[in-house]
Amino acid sequence: MLRSGTLKASRRNVLKGVGMATVVGASLPPIGAALAQGTAPAVAPKGPKLLEMDGKAKLAVLGDKPLVAETQAELMDDSVTPTDKLFVRNNGQVPDVTGDPKAWKIKIDGEVNTPLELSVGDLMSRFPNVTYQLMLECGGNGRSFFSPEARGNQWTNGGAGCPQWTGVRLADVLKAAGLKSSAIYTGHYGADPTLAGETNKPTISRGMPIAKAMEEHTIIAFKLNGKDMPLIHGAPVRLVVPGWAGSLSTKWLNRIWIRDKQHDGPGMGGFSYRLAKTPIVPGTKGDEKDTVILESMPVRSVITFPADGARLAAGTKKLDLRGQAWAGEADIKTVDISTDYGVTWKPAKVDPAPNKYAWQRFTAAVDLPSAGYYEVWAKATDSKGVTQPFIAGNWNPQGYGANPINRIRVLVAS
Amino acid sequence: MTQLNITHVVVFSLTAVFLLVALDRAGELRGPQAAYVPPAKPAPAADIDPDKGKPPLHNDTVEDLPDGKGREITFYTCTACHGVALIKAQGLTRDLWDSSIDLMIEKHRMPPAKPADRAEILDYLAEQFPPRRRGRGGDNPFLK
Repeated sequence: MLRSGTLKASRRNVLKGVGMATVVGASLPPIGAALAQGTAPAVAPKGPKLLEMDGKAKLAVLGDKPLVAETQAELMDDSVTPTDKLFVRNNGQVPDVTGDPKAWKIKIDGEVNTPLELSVGDLMSRFPNVTYQLMLECGGNGRSFFSPEARGNQWTNGGAGCPQWTGVRLADVLKAAGLKSSAIYTGHYGADPTLAGETNKPTISRGMPIAKAMEEHTIIAFKLNGKDMPLIHGAPVRLVVPGWAGSLSTKWLNRIWIRDKQHDGPGMGGFSYRLAKTPIVPGTKGDEKDTVILESMPVRSVITFPADGARLAAGTKKLDLRGQAWAGEADIKTVDISTDYGVTWKPAKVDPAPNKYAWQRFTAAVDLPSAGYYEVWAKATDSKGVTQPFIAGNWNPQGYGANPINRIRVLVAS
Repeated sequence: MTQLNITHVVVFSLTAVFLLVALDRAGELRGPQAAYVPPAKPAPAADIDPDKGKPPLHNDTVEDLPDGKGREITFYTCTACHGVALIKAQGLTRDLWDSSIDLMIEKHRMPPAKPADRAEILDYLAEQFPPRRRGRGGDNPFLK
């Protein structure tokens, strides 16, 4: 159940009638802001490289080639992720713009009674169009919390967003093709050339069990936030497979191959999108054969206001914070907030999701009894009772599943 | 002594081909694993810029990597596909850098380097980019 109670005001603040103090400087760099003893750093703190691209906000660039950019926590504050703030994760090159988007074709073949070749125009007109607000989250989100480092792009929590998608249900398309009884898995293909520039080999090709493909919220999307899909996000059509690793949500989609066995395209084997079955010593190679495919993403919370490193005005006694929480296939049941390193926790108010697979807003009024340095921690618990660990555990060589408690650091001026 | 006849030649040739393909870890001798030809893309209209909406072009130089023995060969081997930011963002154990090279060969079709070159690249990566996050993960008693 969703919690809708409000944080009880502390007796002292009620007695003193302390009002909300203004938050200043909330746009400081999220990580690395010098806070020690309140001294200003001699040079500006070195933040991440910021994305400079038409149509995109100044996201934090994790890699230029291929382009990988994450959304800073304070840019995840919108209820519906605006297109410019949605993270970017490419595996290969970006294909050329297509002249006539409606003529773009996708093929459905393999274990189906009637293989289909559908244009985007066919998709739009033949099947009911649906609009949902759906989480898209990189499988490696949170990787930077592993110690020692795991291989790959060092995401904090910003490989995630929850925009509004419009498209058709994959289930309706698969029903039109008619699944054979031998159909057990999908294999997805997009038009992105490999980093080496090859167009005859898939850059990445992942798949999912048929049950996930037939879910109501698994869609082939052609609109993002009500507008035609931007090229960088997969124009003209892409899959959106919410709650599971983003690599299933193939951009520039041109084929779905229905398989009679688990799909074996690039990105399905080795340690890719897999968790260790037997716990392995952090920093070691591990055994690829002793792994299990990452399916649902884990429970996660992100404080989106104020930013990490915020300086609060002298006299601030209360902080109104906001955040987003989500949990792969599950819903968020509670979010708890601590300002004393986990010694005590207080529940935040958690809003219901507009539909399944959308993130949920949490808000809390946090007491800051004096001037000085505070860490504010957030910990979400999902509908199955699963919560976030204090540190990223279950280390694996390619770094999946890291979802430790979120924290920001704030300084109340004296 | 047995004479070589056509059967011997055929058996020998087939065995050789089989072994070559079986040992071809980089996949150079095999075709794409799934026999699949993507649907033909409609030709872009003349007034459409095919690059509109693409991210800005990005090129690194050797100097973007820290100086050290093996910098040049590491740069030219790795940046044939990806940027140096991906390398510099990671601090990995020698074991993980070693398996990263395997991953590039097996998953991303990097041509396998000669053993001496591979050793030089691995030495460079392991020396320049060791694990940086110490904290509670840095002193694991089971870590070599």
